[in-house]
Amino acid sequence: MTHTHTQAESAEARFAEVFQNLGSIVRYAAARGSRDPEGIAAEVMTIAWRRLPSLPADDPRPWLFVTARNLLMAERRRTGRQAPLDERHTETPAPEAHSGDPAVTAALMQLRPADRDALLLVSWDDLTAAQAARVAGISPVAFRVRLYRARRRFEQALSTQQGDVNGSRTVGMEST
Amino acid sequence: MSRSMDRLERARPDVTAAIDRDALFARIVATPQDREQPQISGSGRRRLLIGCIAVAVLCLTAGTAFAVTGFNLFGWHTDTTIVKSPREWQRLYHDATRRLTLPPGEHWPDPTLPPDTVTSRSQPGGTAVAISQIAWECYWVHAIRHGDAAAGRQAHAALDNLLAHRVLVAPPGSPEDVAPPVGTRPPFAIFASDGGVQFVRKMYRDAADGHPATLIQSCRANGPIGTR
Repeated sequence: MTHTHTQAESAEARFAEVFQNLGSIVRYAAARGSRDPEGIAAEVMTIAWRRLPSLPADDPRPWLFVTARNLLMAERRRTGRQAPLDERHTETPAPEAHSGDPAVTAALMQLRPADRDALLLVSWDDLTAAQAARVAGISPVAFRVRLYRARRRFEQALSTQQGDVNGSRTVGMEST
Repeated sequence: MSRSMDRLERARPDVTAAIDRDALFARIVATPQDREQPQISGSGRRRLLIGCIAVAVLCLTAGTAFAVTGFNLFGWHTDTTIVKSPREWQRLYHDATRRLTLPPGEHWPDPTLPPDTVTSRSQPGGTAVAISQIAWECYWVHAIRHGDAAAGRQAHAALDNLLAHRVLVAPPGSPEDVAPPVGTRPPFAIFASDGGVQFVRKMYRDAADGHPATLIQSCRANGPIGTR
């Protein structure tokens, strides 16, 4: 009985650490255009609690973000909201115009979903490149390459938004 | 960092989570966790796959049987009883109130079946159980606020009794119109198998241990105006 009690307390203590990420998940869902970011975050945490023993012991953040992304996609399917044509078969929810900077939002929307996701995971969600790589499901090296290119493309898109010709010169150096 | 990246970071949406974190945490940890799955070897996985297929076939045939008979293995079944009139609804409700208790000084409200409504015969009893439960919860909150330990113990006992004898948990995956095995004596309230009852039990345990925040919240959310 005491042993069971101690186990329960230990699980609650570990979950309390995981639960610290609640605000990050709310922000993630809100920035990706969820209609109910708090509901998504609560569901992520409920799943995390249920599956606590199988959560990565070293760092649960990538797992939480992947779960949130899956729930976002499910929400989008449920509500029948259509993504732009080139994004319908991706696993990356597009951000909506919630950034407060229309030029930034417009530039983000010009990027490929994978590039946009890489950029936002690092810039808005405060994930390290290694954590974001786990969310994206690719190696850290591949993620760094993707992030580098995404930054270049974003700079170009933002420059275009502002009519800044310097931006296009920077991107001209890319091979892809 | 380039100016573009700096601008991107500054454009991060400013979102403030309007969540009662403590209540959410308490609600989540009151729900059951999945059992840890043991690692399965390759051959074990194949055997498991074959077993799963067999179970799926069994479920399909059993599901057909369930659809035909309306009963499953545990005696829980689809509720096909219908209340025919508001008068019948009120009779069933009043029958239920005679088998339940309210805190001292409380009186049963006099609800009725709204017009153009179809419901099952167990629903009036479920309503009475819910009214009793909420009344005792608010009585307990009142007792805590006024330092009346005896009244608190009385409310706790009444609520434990209600959970033990008047609250049933439907088998996992049951539809909303499920009914308990024939012979279950009304009144009763049916809870889904989603951890809700465990949450309520924990709420009462916590309140008895001097942590009534969730109980107070439950009364505030569900209790009649004036008792909150």
